[in-house]
Amino acid sequence: MKDVPTILRLRNVTKWFGGLKAVDSVTIDFRERKITGLIGPNGAGKTTLFNLINGFLRPDSGEIYYRNIRIDHLMPWEIAKLGIGRLFQDVRIFRKLTVLENVLTGKPSHPGEALTPLLFSLHKVRKIEAHLLDEAHHWIEFVGLTGKEHAPAESLSYGQQKLLSLARLLVGGYDLLLLDEPTAGVNPVMAGKILDIIKKMVTEEGKTVIFIEHNMNVVVEIADWVYFLDEGKLAGMGRPQDILGDVNVRKAYLGI
Amino acid sequence: MNYLLHLFIMISIYSILAMSINIITGYAGLLSLAHAAFYGIGAYTTTLMMIKLGINFFPALICGIIVTGLLSLAIGYPSLKLKGDYFVLTTIGFQIIIFSILYNWISLTRGPYGIPGIPRPSLLGHEVSSLPEYFVFSLIIALVVFIFVRLLANSPFSRALRAMRDDELAASAMGKDVFRLKICSIMVGSSLAAIAGALYATYVTYIDPTSFTLDESIFILTLLLVGGSGNLRGPIVGAIFMVLLPEALRFIGLPDTIAPNVRQIIYGLLLIILMRYRPQGLAGEYRFE
Repeated sequence: MKDVPTILRLRNVTKWFGGLKAVDSVTIDFRERKITGLIGPNGAGKTTLFNLINGFLRPDSGEIYYRNIRIDHLMPWEIAKLGIGRLFQDVRIFRKLTVLENVLTGKPSHPGEALTPLLFSLHKVRKIEAHLLDEAHHWIEFVGLTGKEHAPAESLSYGQQKLLSLARLLVGGYDLLLLDEPTAGVNPVMAGKILDIIKKMVTEEGKTVIFIEHNMNVVVEIADWVYFLDEGKLAGMGRPQDILGDVNVRKAYLGI
Repeated sequence: MNYLLHLFIMISIYSILAMSINIITGYAGLLSLAHAAFYGIGAYTTTLMMIKLGINFFPALICGIIVTGLLSLAIGYPSLKLKGDYFVLTTIGFQIIIFSILYNWISLTRGPYGIPGIPRPSLLGHEVSSLPEYFVFSLIIALVVFIFVRLLANSPFSRALRAMRDDELAASAMGKDVFRLKICSIMVGSSLAAIAGALYATYVTYIDPTSFTLDESIFILTLLLVGGSGNLRGPIVGAIFMVLLPEALRFIGLPDTIAPNVRQIIYGLLLIILMRYRPQGLAGEYRFE
């Protein structure tokens, strides 16, 4: 793995919640064009780590670099515009917007969202919007939500909302994807399809994926490398097959 | 006939107010009780420009829009950090401050005495003075505002605002600069309220601070919630309904001695029933929860 370039570097990242050290001096180099898994028991700090990377939280100490740009002091929207996209564990769709509008919102930089281009270069905005519309329809079809474009997102089932949130992420064209339990709550057929998408994003489109997962079968199937977090600390790392043999991991997941 | 024209002019003015608060409250999801303050700042700035500097209606209106837009930053900045109930309290505070200034800065606003003798707007040397003319004038202005608001409503800008309203954190993770979106929606919404203020001042030709109280802010918000927020029809339906309802109650033939009180009770009751059975408003999709 040493020869693969690094896309994201965490350096001694620490986050306190009151008296609790949620993330404890974590240093990780995430490799480009790889699928990296984050595993660990509930409360290990996995989602907090994602929140620190995409700017929802600021680390109390330590540094985060994305392609050599320091990002730990940036706002979430600035980080999104740099090319880091996030899929939420609790889907977080825009409930009152239609399915199509949700996907259209997924583009991180759209000149039509600012007033000046809207009022003074409407033609250009319309062209970009038309192009985005094609992309959005492509991803809606891709996740199998065709025919629901104009339904309010809140009318979808949980599984469909998950797929919608995936389409909304994929339209964004991000280079680094943070996926928080991408297959939780969807049926096995769809879960298999999502895993295929993830693999394809990496092998064919050169994206980098970091994902949080509790299902070890999924981890073994897609991960190139796995980090094991426990009580906010990095407690192990390795290839998926190897790390399942790790004593701590077995204790955390299997209780033996 | 004059009575009907008067009602239509008031509907035009309140439509503009409802359309403009819709951008802040309906699309961006920021519940505001300061809209009468912006309405008042627009009315006073336009009036003072016309009277003290003797300039024409349209340049005075543009000054009114700019001054209102700048003062709206006073609630724009707190909105970045404060949410829900806390933001509402900020807007109430702003509303009360503006009312106090209008009421007490006597050398500028004449305070409670108000400003009489405001000239009617003149277009190409012709003064819009008769009631039918003023009706057409106010309708055209309301239409221009409608066209502008429709451009915004159908744009990616409105989509980003509504996304932020539904889930601010998720929107920010999708590249939406929520600080800029909030400031823009508040500035645009309050600037449009200034247009309503200028129309009102030059229509009535007299203004005093009691037209721009917290009560009026509540009334403007009611227009929006009754009509339905977050879409284009709602504010207009709300303005028509809320201006005509009290007038309609005049014709139900109540005995004179109790009429005003009973009208108030029926009015209040109708609003309660409406909100119970149609919380999203008469023509609305979105409801506050």
